[in-house]
Amino acid sequence: MDILDLGKDIDVLINIEPEDLIPLPYPYDDPANEPLIKKLTDDQKKRYEASLDGVIAIGIPKPTTKEEEETFVRRFLSGLEKLLSLENNWTFLQPLYHSLEYCVKCQLCNDACPAYIASGRKEIYRPTYRPEILRRIINKYIKKKHPSLLKLTGSDIELNWQLVARLGELAYRCTLCRKCAQVCPLGVDNGLISHEIRKIFSQEMGIAPKELHESGTMQQLKTGSSTGITPKALANIIEFMEEEIEEKTGKKIKIPVDKEGADILLIHNAGEFISWPENTMAFAIIFDAAHIDWTLSSDLAGYDAVNYGVWYDDIQLARIARRHAEIARALKVKKINVGECGHAHKAMIVVADRVLTGELNIPRESALPILADIVLNDRIKLDPSRNNFPVTLHDPCNMVRLMGIVEPQRQILRKICPQFREMEPHGVDNYCCGGGSGFAIMQSMNFPDWRSVVSGRIKLKQILEVFQDVISVDTKKYVCAPCSNCKGQIRDLFAFYNVFERCNILYGGLVELIVNAMVDIKKPFIEWEWR
Amino acid sequence: MPLNHVDFMEIFIAILTYFAYIFIVVAYTVKIVKYLKLPIHLRWELYPVIHEDAYHYGGSCFENTNWWEKPRKIRNIKGFLWLLKDYFTLHDYLKQNLFYWLGLYPWHIGFIFIITFHILCFFGALFMVSGISISHNSQDILGIIIYYAILFTGVLSFISGAIGSIIILINRVIDKNLKTYASPLQFLTYIFTLIVFLSGLYSWYYVDPKLEEYREFWVGLLTFNFIGVETATMVHIILFDLFLIYLPFTRSLHYITRFFAFFLIRWDDKPNIRGGDMEKRIEGQFENRINWSGPHIITGKSWREQ
Repeated sequence: MDILDLGKDIDVLINIEPEDLIPLPYPYDDPANEPLIKKLTDDQKKRYEASLDGVIAIGIPKPTTKEEEETFVRRFLSGLEKLLSLENNWTFLQPLYHSLEYCVKCQLCNDACPAYIASGRKEIYRPTYRPEILRRIINKYIKKKHPSLLKLTGSDIELNWQLVARLGELAYRCTLCRKCAQVCPLGVDNGLISHEIRKIFSQEMGIAPKELHESGTMQQLKTGSSTGITPKALANIIEFMEEEIEEKTGKKIKIPVDKEGADILLIHNAGEFISWPENTMAFAIIFDAAHIDWTLSSDLAGYDAVNYGVWYDDIQLARIARRHAEIARALKVKKINVGECGHAHKAMIVVADRVLTGELNIPRESALPILADIVLNDRIKLDPSRNNFPVTLHDPCNMVRLMGIVEPQRQILRKICPQFREMEPHGVDNYCCGGGSGFAIMQSMNFPDWRSVVSGRIKLKQILEVFQDVISVDTKKYVCAPCSNCKGQIRDLFAFYNVFERCNILYGGLVELIVNAMVDIKKPFIEWEWR
Repeated sequence: MPLNHVDFMEIFIAILTYFAYIFIVVAYTVKIVKYLKLPIHLRWELYPVIHEDAYHYGGSCFENTNWWEKPRKIRNIKGFLWLLKDYFTLHDYLKQNLFYWLGLYPWHIGFIFIITFHILCFFGALFMVSGISISHNSQDILGIIIYYAILFTGVLSFISGAIGSIIILINRVIDKNLKTYASPLQFLTYIFTLIVFLSGLYSWYYVDPKLEEYREFWVGLLTFNFIGVETATMVHIILFDLFLIYLPFTRSLHYITRFFAFFLIRWDDKPNIRGGDMEKRIEGQFENRINWSGPHIITGKSWREQ
């Protein structure tokens, strides 16, 4: 396809066919058995823009009149202008400027992109494709360069609503894993371009995936959590957790809530409370056993570490980060600890560092180093033979490539899992799970299928490869993913391909493995069943 | 030295050369100042970060509990040397795309050495003005060193740059990935650089095997006593001047902005300290009024008031 096809009146720009996809290892090595991405219904196609790749992530309603089309384009251009202004985008202007101005289109980043490679190198997923389109729009419509200069610089483009809508959808075909940026010798960050396009859509046009915005950041600020958990519901959940802990381990633990002056305010991704309560319970068991002075918060948003703003909207990012910090300040805790949630790590500890000023600048750290300290210094008694099954580690991009937390989780696994093995590549060179930048929670129409078939494909390949010698269902295997969203993606990926049934591979967090090895707990903490 | 040209041409290439050098310095300075004046941004680093102790595997201070209590060791020189070394190897390209590197490397070596050649010509001229002879049998060891350095850098740049220009041009034409995104201007640049390097090569081979004319020309520029040069040399000087004027309109500044991108973005892990300078700058940014029109945004209010 040609670059300019993005604005052409074509039914679907690309089709994802099983034979185009990169092959998977045994037992998924027959493309004929490849599950397909669900086709959209005629009604869906009629109502929403779906002509990019036959997949819908955002669900942009189609304009019904010429005026609506023009307004759509005008608002995009207005947003683009603001994106390039100091007042409206001081937050990312310098990195954006660099990436727009200094890419030499050497295409070195191409092979780093899991979606591009997995798809069989579909042009629209190429990491340099979106920036190329955006650059052309800027040259023609913002900088208003002379037509002959546009031709000379290869900046030909004709803007229409379909191009803009497709570009919006396309910004949600990149997981912001930034592996492309990592390999760029010139420091260009094509992942950032996707991030910035998302901002135009959200901050100017009011368009964002429902799961990220309406039921995401907006709900979190209003009711306390993107999961819908209210402070009252949280109290019930904590009570349930205490009962469960007693039932599963025999330990009677009082989970501290709103304890003023505690050393640590632990904030989980609230999705854990609902989907993987064993993770939050494991934290409570470990911290209790290690005599850590900690607390949870029941304040609005204080029990949900997520900050989806980091993926699509700087204003929402700042609002939530400041809210988290305000809660910690009110509780007079010494520091905030972020549980097993990658993007919350990155948002709260790193990105928000430059929106938290004065008293809101409260020390924030990952929970992984303190867990490593507990395990490596024998602050709790552990028996590694209880984890004597093959275990591999998935590196959440946000914690590893984007934060440099590489070793603590490995030190723990080396100590407590005798059959720990590494995927290739791993560490800062890892591949995204395919659910990054909000994908894991986005359930729009056939988008979950796309993230299993395309964006998560390399991760599935890695997991199957690392367990290839023990791939039979007779051996139980565990993928440790210390990140809530990664777990969500791996859950959906495994369900899509029936991995648990066909290969007996379970996924879960890190703390579950630690508790599973605790000698004073009689029954195995990890229950070998699909959830 | 025979003078084949009328005074007009002598003055013309002298003025063109002054202009080209002043132009590129001013244009690059404007671009650099614009880049550096961009406001402080949110942290967006990527690991490995060069000054971290655990750089070898990409680790960071965040691997420690209470990381903020540990002293932060910054060794900018390490990053600087790393980037500098990469200019002479283009290691990432070598590792990931040998075919592309085979053109890119000699092309870039051509640039690096042609710039070095001109700088050496300038210093050679300075020495000559101060009475030091520049030749292979100079009485002064410095004169001999400069003589051979000029000869080496000049000839190497012409040959390497010409070969690189041809290969990279071929690369862009036959590699579909590169061709799809190449603009006519890019091809024009390759052809232009090829002509610049070939003109230098021709001049050296057929006219000025010791590259004396360049030094004499520079002496003229320094003393305002402009001299004429052979046609081939003159053509090369004019083409190189035009090339200098052309450069700021390309992405060539990536030689320098690459340093900024690494130090100010990719490796920028400087924490915001309470009461520190950075905090003051951030507080200033909070006063910017937001004009975004999204329904969840209070348009017209500052970042602080959102």
